[in-house]
Amino acid sequence: MDADRPYDLELRGITKTFGDFMAVDAVDLAVRPGEFVAIMGPSGCGKTTLLRIVAGLEVMTDGRLYIAGKEMTYTPVNKRSTRLVWQNYALFPHLNVFENIAFGLKLTRHDKAEVRRKVETMAELVGMAEFLTRRIGQLSGGQKQRVALARALVTEPDILLLDEPLSALDAHLRLRMQGELRRLQQSLGISFVYVTHNQIEAFSMADRVVVMNQGRIEQLDRPDVIYNYPKTHFVARFVGMNNLFEGSVRAVADGVVAVACPQGDIEVAIGDEWPDVGETVTVVVQADKTRILDGAGGPNRLRAVLRGREYAGSQNIYLFDTADGNEIKVVAQEAIATANARTINAELALGFAAGDASLIGYHRPAAAEALPKAAVG
Amino acid sequence: MSVLSRTPFPAAKQRLRTPNDSPLKLFCLLPAAFWYGVFFLLPLIFLLWIGFWRVENYVNVPDFTALNYIEIGENLFARARYGLALLQSLYVALTNMVFAVGFAYLIALALVYAVPERWQRLALLLTIAPFWSSYVLRLYAWQTILSKSGLLNATLGYLGMDALKVDIIYTQIATRIGLIHFLAPILVVIMYVTVRNIDRTLIEAARELGASRWQVFRKVILPLSSFGLALSGSFAVIIALGDTLSPSLLGGGAGSSWLGNIPVFSGMLIADYASSTNLPRTSALATILVLVMVGMLLLGYRLAERARRNISE
Repeated sequence: MDADRPYDLELRGITKTFGDFMAVDAVDLAVRPGEFVAIMGPSGCGKTTLLRIVAGLEVMTDGRLYIAGKEMTYTPVNKRSTRLVWQNYALFPHLNVFENIAFGLKLTRHDKAEVRRKVETMAELVGMAEFLTRRIGQLSGGQKQRVALARALVTEPDILLLDEPLSALDAHLRLRMQGELRRLQQSLGISFVYVTHNQIEAFSMADRVVVMNQGRIEQLDRPDVIYNYPKTHFVARFVGMNNLFEGSVRAVADGVVAVACPQGDIEVAIGDEWPDVGETVTVVVQADKTRILDGAGGPNRLRAVLRGREYAGSQNIYLFDTADGNEIKVVAQEAIATANARTINAELALGFAAGDASLIGYHRPAAAEALPKAAVG
Repeated sequence: MSVLSRTPFPAAKQRLRTPNDSPLKLFCLLPAAFWYGVFFLLPLIFLLWIGFWRVENYVNVPDFTALNYIEIGENLFARARYGLALLQSLYVALTNMVFAVGFAYLIALALVYAVPERWQRLALLLTIAPFWSSYVLRLYAWQTILSKSGLLNATLGYLGMDALKVDIIYTQIATRIGLIHFLAPILVVIMYVTVRNIDRTLIEAARELGASRWQVFRKVILPLSSFGLALSGSFAVIIALGDTLSPSLLGGGAGSSWLGNIPVFSGMLIADYASSTNLPRTSALATILVLVMVGMLLLGYRLAERARRNISE
């Protein structure tokens, strides 16, 4: 990555209100050249509004926007060097595949042969070269998606914005298109900002993931960091399948924090960021790191009543309640017979390793993954 | 026992009736059949038939002769000049279509894109309100406005702008004004529905790809309006060809136009009916007009169908 190049996209304090409703709340974000950033969050979290602000389709209430180092806060939509891939593709039904892809190129003075060459090259890249004379109505969902991508990419944007582009495709095609999108992004070296509510899409494609909630960024980091070390309660509940235990710090020694929870003491190996004794914290442990302890002993042992179980092919998913009403989920790689042997409403012992748990909710030192400071023109 | 050998099902004794399979279906068609038969098919057959009768001593005699058509054919550009009247009709109808559809399209575009969502229904209602007043009444109103010393010219004179005074009463321009006033509400509704149904995402997408507002209109909105334009265009032509009121009340019968002081075909047909007792010839003339209208309708239908196929996914 070229260190001298400005960010492809930089958002500073972007805010959008609809009346009393705060849709986007002081969002800061910097996208490095060639980076794939996924913005993820539940519906209504402001992710699509944020994307529309970047595209110039929505006016921001406050904040500044830079694209490839140039301020574009007041640049009208048709003068921006971003391109949006729409959720419903938004292909022009009165034009064929070629004319759709060429639409952006034909708007200014152009050389016909040059347009044809560019369209054909791009159609080749997305695998639509044989369909250039097809009508839009004759295309499948996946083919429409490819045309939409080609139509946006052929104009050589600084940054490609994608608004839930795969949500209308079936699961099989989605998997294929995920791979193709990533390949396309890497071969073209264009940065992608990808909005989705689907965490699998976000985590499998993106270099960095932004988790948004109620208009704010909850966490911004690499997918594996977000998955293993959620920073807020929201992220811990929204991402993956996590069990949460609230308690207060009783002791800190040798990198292990003892947390007094209603279910009993829980030990967490936390590394170098230590909370203070007495601080209220939440212990987070993934469902597939939580185990049913059939024997005696084991770390972080607590008792819970089995309420439900689900057999999902190669794994069993269990739902437990602790005595104080806390819900615990366990994902175990087992045969179905193992699950059937466990009786509903039986009280069982659960546990997890101190190293598999993490802590959220305490005062941390300044977060390392906050907006990187860099010169922007 | 082989899996292939199985006892055949007993032959069906009765048929299952699905919810959309009512025995009353045929009965329900009766009003429609009555409507088509008595008010459309029967008069049309009668009209076509009388066109082949002949007149003997001022009496209509049933016959099967093409004499009426031969007489009309011989007088296309002589004496009664039926051909010129037909040309006048087509000229007025087609030019009127351009103005009427253009006017309605502008109003529809304004309604959809310039009027706030919550006022649109009211605005549309106000636009089509003239439709509820009598057509004849409206034409008389236009007479008092457009006549030589009418409201328009009197006002211009009062304001000292005598140079701007217009003399269009009893011309085909006045005919078109009356027709447009009659057509506008219907055409506005057709065009409003058309423009309203254009996916706004397509407009945003075009803008996002770099199109200016004008380019969005030319490359997205206009092509996607083509079906509605073809539909309202054929509607305007058919109505204009058949109307006799505006050509007589505002056009003054033989209203002047670029083609000369020639009545429109429908007006001439009425005059022919009123001035002579030759009902068979009038019927033949009416048949010709009906055929021209059917031709126009087919043309419009083909254009609309092509447009529909082009803009539908």
